[in-house]
Amino acid sequence: MRRVLLLAALTASACFVLQIAGQEPSAAPWQSFDQLLQAAETARDANRNDEAIWLFRRALEEQPESEQALWYLGTMLYEKEQYAEARDVLRQFATLRPDAGPAWALLGLSEFQLRQYSRALDHLQRAMAQGMGDRKELIQSVYYEVVVLLTRFERYDDSIVMLQRMLANGVADPALTEPAGLAALRLPFLPAEIPPDRRELVHLTGRATLDVQTQHYEDAETEFKQLVTKYPNEPGIHYLYGAYLVQLHPDESVAEFERELEISPSHVLARVRLAEQLISQHDFDRALALAQQAIKLDPKRASAHMLAGEALLAKGNAGDGIKELETARDIDPTVVRAHWDLLRAYIAAGRNEDADREKKTIEKLSDLNSQSRPGDARDNARGRAAP
Amino acid sequence: MYSLLPGLLISFVLAASAAAAPANFETIASQADKARTQDRVPDAIRLYREGTHLRPSWADGWWYLGSLFYDQDRFPEAGAAFQHLLASTSHRGPAHAFLALCDYETGKYDDALAQFRAWAGAGWAGPRELRDVADYHFALLLTRDGRFVESLYLIAPLAQRLGDRSELVEAMGLASLRMRYLPENYPPERRERIWLAGKAALYAAQSPKDFERADEYAAGLESRYGTQPEVHYFRGTLYGFEEKNAEAEREYREELKISPDHVPSLDALAGLDLERSDLAEAGALARRAVAVDSNDAEGHRLLGRVFFAHGDLHAAVAELEKAKQLAPENPLVRSHLAMVYAKLGQTQEAKAEAAAFLALKNKDEVMASQQEKLGKNNGENVH
Repeated sequence: MRRVLLLAALTASACFVLQIAGQEPSAAPWQSFDQLLQAAETARDANRNDEAIWLFRRALEEQPESEQALWYLGTMLYEKEQYAEARDVLRQFATLRPDAGPAWALLGLSEFQLRQYSRALDHLQRAMAQGMGDRKELIQSVYYEVVVLLTRFERYDDSIVMLQRMLANGVADPALTEPAGLAALRLPFLPAEIPPDRRELVHLTGRATLDVQTQHYEDAETEFKQLVTKYPNEPGIHYLYGAYLVQLHPDESVAEFERELEISPSHVLARVRLAEQLISQHDFDRALALAQQAIKLDPKRASAHMLAGEALLAKGNAGDGIKELETARDIDPTVVRAHWDLLRAYIAAGRNEDADREKKTIEKLSDLNSQSRPGDARDNARGRAAP
Repeated sequence: MYSLLPGLLISFVLAASAAAAPANFETIASQADKARTQDRVPDAIRLYREGTHLRPSWADGWWYLGSLFYDQDRFPEAGAAFQHLLASTSHRGPAHAFLALCDYETGKYDDALAQFRAWAGAGWAGPRELRDVADYHFALLLTRDGRFVESLYLIAPLAQRLGDRSELVEAMGLASLRMRYLPENYPPERRERIWLAGKAALYAAQSPKDFERADEYAAGLESRYGTQPEVHYFRGTLYGFEEKNAEAEREYREELKISPDHVPSLDALAGLDLERSDLAEAGALARRAVAVDSNDAEGHRLLGRVFFAHGDLHAAVAELEKAKQLAPENPLVRSHLAMVYAKLGQTQEAKAEAAAFLALKNKDEVMASQQEKLGKNNGENVH
């Protein structure tokens, strides 16, 4: 249904296509090409699609770089679910019109259908970067596929960021439940790849995750409790519940993170969140150990370096603490808390120039309102409770 | 993984061809280069087409034309352009790799595998980025061809260098579970199994080995899919890497309960038996293996060792020679043959096999040389 709607939006009017192609009909250099194109459009308007496709192909034999013919042919092939052919035609169109976001979108959607997921993700993200105008159905389809592909490529944090963007834009599609559940559970599957015996788990997790994101905390509480009861030994569940509890009952979250680490010994985020809680409880030795384990498991996790830095500073080791904080800042310069930590540490160390630089960065980030940006899902040690 | 390539092709510098040219050609060549460097792709394609039409021996023209098409995902046209470079001694190596990649993208998988083998035979030419992409796709095709060990052999160094990448996990999962699929065409319901196995294999292949994390994923695989074929065998091989022989043996036996004719498990168990001198069971298992698959080189080798241990030298020679015929580049086969020939007093043959063993053993110690073996379609079947 989603595909049909977006196609209707894309192919309904010739004006739209011409807008995409960025050109008005003009005197063609070859009469036969004009005739072919006109005949193709007539056939398309009369829903004689096979004939239209044949005519567009013939027109392209005359003018292989005709943007109009390529676009119409590409969209019609996509509509007929001839994805390989649609992909080839749309790729040619996109080469000629690299600024045409909708073309990258349909190209990516075709590649998705062909299970060329890496290319699909690249091209769908290019569509997002180029913009797709006000074509809501197309935009939602692209965002949805990007969310599921980011999860499949194990880029769970980026996937959650995208989900948050969709939710912030008022998209409340039940179809988001499974993608949200998969990203939260860190299971790199497409919704179609969810094993049947895990579907309920994914669905319930997705509902809880979406309820947290949309601040329906009572519902989320009920769903998390169900999850913990029904799936007490499932990897990821206790972490998610702990992450939820952090904002309401931080002390209770510790037990959940610890339980998660019994089930999933290499769970990086459980270590990070537990370390964060232990720092707030002034248990710096244990926090440092956990943060260092997290760094070993995932050396590019900014929050792990930040918490290691905080613990080291608290233990009086300013030199190593600052190094860890600087590493955190270099990995992800948008983490405001790391800049605050560094500001305080530089002042304490008498490094005034460095402190000034951090102060300016904090001001800049504050101006950008980045403390509450959706990107916080990337790193939960920032004071938000996005599981 | 494919995204490693764009940009590389254009910057890949090749020596210009030196033949005399008509003035028109020089103009077009210059315009083509200018269009390319200015990123005017359609113009560049048109001009390179014209230039190569005017002078079919223009290797750089074909190279850039193929590269531009490849970067636009226009693989049939890219392949046609690269085809012209096979006659060029300076371009043949990388051209094989690109042709293979184009064939892969257009679904001509057997042709792609043949081109990759030709590329390997020509010395695995090309810059690191090309070799990474080519190795990855070569490995995928080896898996599709049922050559799982060779496939893992190619991917493991990539996994060590590039780390935990989703494409590598998938490729390692398919090979580890001995599934003759490509990432594009395996049944979606197998995704979880492939992912769990791939993760376990990837962490076991890291340097230093991360067996702790590998075991975590392998345990998940076993708990979720313990009744499915190949899972216990895979777990057994992981335990084998960890030198946990008792656990490995248990897993191989579990696999045989599920798949009684599982040749790699039969061979693995026979190998473990030989290590502890249980010749009776080793012989029985190796016999079963070669009965199931008469082309199982490892089974013949193990059977040869059993006969040798029993003192039946002629039977041992027969089995080892069969193994050699099936896997001429397996150093262990040559080493055992050398021993048996020596015992039989066939000094010349023993020396020849010992020399072959040393040569192959040295090769084994260098990854590049080991890879070189894959360039030869020698029909080996090493489990």
